[in-house]
Amino acid sequence: MRLDYRSIPYRILENGLRIGGIVVFSMLASGGSPGGGFGFLLVVGFLLLGVFAVGLWESAYVRRYDYEITADTFDIRSGVFSRREREIPFERIQNVDIAQNVVQRVLDIAEVRLETAGGGSSEATLQYVSRSEAVRLQELISDRKQRGTERDPGASDDVLFELESRELAILGLTSANFRLFASLVVVVSLVAPPLARQLSPSANLLLFLGPGVAIGLLLLLWIASGLQAVFRYYGFRLLRHDDELRYQRGLLQRYTGTVPLSKVQTLMVQENVLARLLGYGSLVIETAGYAPGQGSESVESAVPIAKRHRVFELVRTVEDIGEVSFERPPKRARTRYIARYSIVVAVATGLAGVGHLLTDAIPTWYAVAGLVVLTPLAAHLKWRNLGYYYDDEYVVTQSGFWTRKTTIVPYFRVQTVADSQTIFQRRRRLRTLAVDTASSGGFWGGDAVALDIDADTAGQLRETVHDRFQSQLARRQSEQTDRTASLR
Amino acid sequence: MTDGGAGNDPADTAGSPESGERGPAEAAETTGAPDSGERGTGDSADTTAGAVDGGPTPAVTPASEPVTDELPAEVLEYTTGRRSVSSLVQIHWGLRAGLVAVVAGVVLTAVLSNFGFPPEYGPLVVGVFVVLAAVWIGLRYRRWVYQVRGDALYLERGVVTHVRTLVPYVRIQHVDTSRGPLERTLGLSTLVVYTAGSRGADVSIPGLTPEEASDLQKRVKELAIEAEGGDAL
Repeated sequence: MRLDYRSIPYRILENGLRIGGIVVFSMLASGGSPGGGFGFLLVVGFLLLGVFAVGLWESAYVRRYDYEITADTFDIRSGVFSRREREIPFERIQNVDIAQNVVQRVLDIAEVRLETAGGGSSEATLQYVSRSEAVRLQELISDRKQRGTERDPGASDDVLFELESRELAILGLTSANFRLFASLVVVVSLVAPPLARQLSPSANLLLFLGPGVAIGLLLLLWIASGLQAVFRYYGFRLLRHDDELRYQRGLLQRYTGTVPLSKVQTLMVQENVLARLLGYGSLVIETAGYAPGQGSESVESAVPIAKRHRVFELVRTVEDIGEVSFERPPKRARTRYIARYSIVVAVATGLAGVGHLLTDAIPTWYAVAGLVVLTPLAAHLKWRNLGYYYDDEYVVTQSGFWTRKTTIVPYFRVQTVADSQTIFQRRRRLRTLAVDTASSGGFWGGDAVALDIDADTAGQLRETVHDRFQSQLARRQSEQTDRTASLR
Repeated sequence: MTDGGAGNDPADTAGSPESGERGPAEAAETTGAPDSGERGTGDSADTTAGAVDGGPTPAVTPASEPVTDELPAEVLEYTTGRRSVSSLVQIHWGLRAGLVAVVAGVVLTAVLSNFGFPPEYGPLVVGVFVVLAAVWIGLRYRRWVYQVRGDALYLERGVVTHVRTLVPYVRIQHVDTSRGPLERTLGLSTLVVYTAGSRGADVSIPGLTPEEASDLQKRVKELAIEAEGGDAL
């Protein structure tokens, strides 16, 4: 099957604009003022040539792109000069995503992306097929994937979650990046007054302008990130379709994605400070589909925002986890954070002092040291939000004050278990346990990490997690053989 | 058994089998109250490790894992005791560090003399670096321990940060042996084990003789084949 013919004009528009922009820019940059009418003609000529070349290329690309659905694989043959043939087995496909921006919606075309666990980027990107074809492909792939299991033909999609407008508003309100905010406030309120004084020493009014500008900037940032979140998650719906979760979202850019329940690696509940205050949180379901470096854009929230208990209800529809009661790290971990933050304050004070020596701009540089009174509070807040829990099925870890992340890992998904002890942890007999999975959260994102737990407990926990992983594996194995035996 | 001392356990782990590397010294350590004496016996886990990997020859701990008794013979024949890596690896790391030191020394001296500082500081800084590197290499070599267990590969390593990793055989995607030019001249080999995990997707064991490496590769391969269960992707 071919791509939709309407993708030719869209692709020309998309790439032509980019190339045209470069051409115009380089002409303007190199020529300065192109000599009269002749120069103008030259520019237009180059542009036309560029557009023609792009048109030729894009239509060749679309014409040479061919995909086919066989009994077990999705085959793609593509490439204008260097050809590539790719077969993707259906059972290996992790996610099927459909994206449509405004122009694409007008043209009724959509981009389809298939993700498998291997490789660095999307394994297949169909740019573009018609909307109906995209939906058909998504449907077909989820059908083919579940060929082995019995399927109820009359089964309809359960709506698991629908974002109400009130929740959308809260999402907009709470989607600010608070860590950035806090650091901005500190930096600006320190730097701005002396800077203002330097600029015009007479006007004391300017003293207040610095923080004022900072607050204005922050508000603007807040509004911008809020609007972005609202546009992104407008009309969010989470459906259950057989053994698959599906979500739809987006005001301008429509986005539909699938998450196969059998491929869920970890679940992560994220609550930032504001959301936590209001009793809200979000849920991220991670599969192995997206490559670690693929950016936060592609790791989607399964539920962008909901009341905390609703989030955990949804967690339980995916993984049947009981009541979670966290074990906090020993109290000596908290002293460690006080020490750590005090060192940070000392370094910051030193930097400010050096800065003052060099530029003479921060006469009150020693005031930075006053931040030290905040270190016990900061340490306590960090400690308060750390924790781990494990039962027969899951290991759960929690960390983070600005954005608290609760990661739920079924033992079956464990890849490796490691405990580590830095030189600073050694004298306090603390260790960090890291449970690695194949999830796509990246180096620090997806894994369950129990920070600063008692050294002996960490060692025991490592063995326990591994043992329970092995016994779960054995149980799954015997279930599988039972199932094949009963089928026979 | 060690549960009595560590009161922070939410669930009962007494049933979980004692692992191979947790010798009597560490068990004794846990009898102390966990919250008192923060700076006390914290390093006794390390002394256990130090006692074992004294020599380059494969050393089997007397206190091997109790699960060993239940393992089927075809698995048992592939397991090993706690082994340390070859002492030659210190030369490998040393040469590598030396190379870095020479290059850094030349660059640093050139930069210093360009900016009007006395050029003697260059070799001085490099000298300090070399001493630190030598200490680090010695410690790193002494810390390195690996063990082919019945159901997982166990690794212990790290100087500044001690890391102990368990890699279940079921999760191993493929196993490589690699030999760089330096390693070839020294007669060394590195085993690299790949998993699908996002962090530390590859785990490597340096400082093996080629025979050891291919033997280890065979063991891990057989155990990975033996362990069925899919890759959970």
